Amino acid sequence: MSKQAPGVRIDGLTVTYNNLPAVRNVSLELPPGTITGIVGESGSGKSTLALSLLNAVQPPGRIAAGSVEIDEIGNVVEFAAEQIRRVRGSQIGYVFQAAQNSLNPLKTVGKQLLDLGRSHGVEDLRGLVRDAKDLLGRMGLDGARVLDSHQHELSGGMRQRVGIMLALVLNAHLVVLDEPTTALDMITQSTILKIIREVHEERGLTTLVITHDIGVVAEVADRLAVMYGGRLVEQGPTREVLASPQHPYTRGLIRAIPRLTGDIDEAQALPGRPPTLATVPAEGCVFRERCPLRMDVCDTVDPAAEAYGTRIVACHAVKVKEHA
Amino acid sequence: MTVVLKKLAGHLARGLVMILVVATISFFIVRNIPGDPMKAALEMKVAAGADPVAAAQEVKVIYGFQPTGSMWSQYVDYLAGLATFDLGTSTLHAGQPVTEVLTESAKWTVLPVLLGILMSFLVGVILGVYAALRRSSKLGDILAISGSLLHGVPQYVLGLLLAAIFATSLGWFPSEGGVADILIEPGFTPEYIGTLIRHAALPVLTYALASYGGWVLAMKSSVVTVLGDDFILASELRGMKRSIIFRYVARNAILPLFTILALSLGLLFAGAVFIERIFNYPGLGLKLIDSVTNRDYALMSGAFLLITVAIVVANILADLLYTVIDPRVRQ
Ligand SMILES: Nc1ncnc2c1ncn2[C@@H]1O[C@H](COP(=O)(O)OP(=O)(O)OP(=O)(O)O)[C@@H](O)[C@H]1O
Ligand SMILES: [Mg+2]
Repeated sequence: MSKQAPGVRIDGLTVTYNNLPAVRNVSLELPPGTITGIVGESGSGKSTLALSLLNAVQPPGRIAAGSVEIDEIGNVVEFAAEQIRRVRGSQIGYVFQAAQNSLNPLKTVGKQLLDLGRSHGVEDLRGLVRDAKDLLGRMGLDGARVLDSHQHELSGGMRQRVGIMLALVLNAHLVVLDEPTTALDMITQSTILKIIREVHEERGLTTLVITHDIGVVAEVADRLAVMYGGRLVEQGPTREVLASPQHPYTRGLIRAIPRLTGDIDEAQALPGRPPTLATVPAEGCVFRERCPLRMDVCDTVDPAAEAYGTRIVACHAVKVKEHA
Repeated sequence: MTVVLKKLAGHLARGLVMILVVATISFFIVRNIPGDPMKAALEMKVAAGADPVAAAQEVKVIYGFQPTGSMWSQYVDYLAGLATFDLGTSTLHAGQPVTEVLTESAKWTVLPVLLGILMSFLVGVILGVYAALRRSSKLGDILAISGSLLHGVPQYVLGLLLAAIFATSLGWFPSEGGVADILIEPGFTPEYIGTLIRHAALPVLTYALASYGGWVLAMKSSVVTVLGDDFILASELRGMKRSIIFRYVARNAILPLFTILALSLGLLFAGAVFIERIFNYPGLGLKLIDSVTNRDYALMSGAFLLITVAIVVANILADLLYTVIDPRVRQ
């Protein structure tokens, strides 16, 4: 069992729903001990990518190509059902996008904790309960009370923390959080983000945070990856990407957020709408319909992700500029 | 637990009101039947030369209340009788108290109905789960279709079909009616138990088949709904064992079925009137029909009342079960 932050290498990953790609040829590395943030509009394939880390893409979806190599675990894409089940929860913690409803409404949190322990062959169930209480207390909750509660007795922020507790209680060192703060009020949001950051450091985790809110990533992530139409269009250290976005989509995304530009008048919504699975172009660049820098080549050739220093960008225009 | 007790108290209060309403309605219906049976009986006795006071006393015994006096005082007498479980005497059964006649026949309705519904519930729920899990396979389709078909057939049609096929044509089951072969000495003997089972088989099977389709369909759609719930995927992402997730699904899916259980029990008790007629099976339903054809008014309102009580009790039990299982309702 990995007791250290593992590194993760996603390589050439393609995931399709009914043969339509929701994630296309994505390569991304999560360095050990870092927090990586993935941003993108709704439908860009963030959750699909996150589920691939647990080989848990839901039917009719399937991983059509590529690999997800996790240190000390292996390429989970090739894992059989029971093999991957053992890894889920115990080595990879997942905080579900709809964490508000991630609990069995008929059972108390404590009973579900015990079910989790039994599922993973935990012998010291008392110890498990103790760890859970510690974690909950760590997040500012009354552990004993929460374990004795049903889902409907907990607030949204409390449920989210319970979700985080369940993802960590078996000592997983790779944690995936899908939209951990969506549907929470601003104050609870920042509390949860603080908790994520602190727990990440205390426990020495490798963390992946998925969000459509670039402000969230700005607050917690060391590295930032931007998704559009199933493609990873830009990635790099958060600070650098935010300070000098290269891909026209990243630029548009950042410009659209008053919180970051500091001036509401300057905030400009991105024109157009993101593509759906059915409308995403099969060839050429996925972003060209909304792109201010569109060129002829964009219609026919899908730009490859190329490294520019610490940055990886998939854009013909950026490439032209670099070579100029 | 206190919540359950509180609920029980509320239910009992409502149930009592309901029973009171039905008792009142049946009282006034009987009292207003054209030709006024009680007055007729009294007049008949007086005309036959009986002493009016003694005759009134006799009629009172038969109907459970004084036929003379104002409607109001008769009603009060009737309710007073009810409170002491005195429903009058049955004319059809030679002056036997109605309560006695009813308790004797009630078991021949309650047991077969409960047995039938238990069988169909167990089988229907299990097959419903299967139909949901295998919903894209042939067998899953067949199960769902068989459920819809059976669900659509009225109870009495099922009863007639079963009687025609298994009793009349094939002769596998007795067609003479009754709860047992009258030639077999009652007692705790294999012969007697055997004849009891053979006589009850077709009514029970009718109850079971009549409700089976509903369970399959309801359970199937319920399981499909729960499978799509977020917490199931969340549990999978936590690496929960399949067997545990299956239990989560089953328990959540079966919950809405308890409300249907109450309705279904009610329907079966009401339907027993037809089914017992078809198989000539002497339960409450048959007693009700007999009392109507023989103008045994005390028995009529008694049987009517008891069927109401059965439905009320079924509802209470189903709701309490629901309360015990669903923590959200317990709040
Ligand atoms: N089970 C499914 N069947 C068919 N298509 C699906 C399924 N799940 C997702 N998709 C499609 O795949 C694409 C990517 O979905 P995904 O949920 O990964 O997006 P997302 O970036 O997480 O969006 P959001 O921000 O709304 O959560 C979307 O177009 C979506 O409609
Ligand atoms: Mg998502």
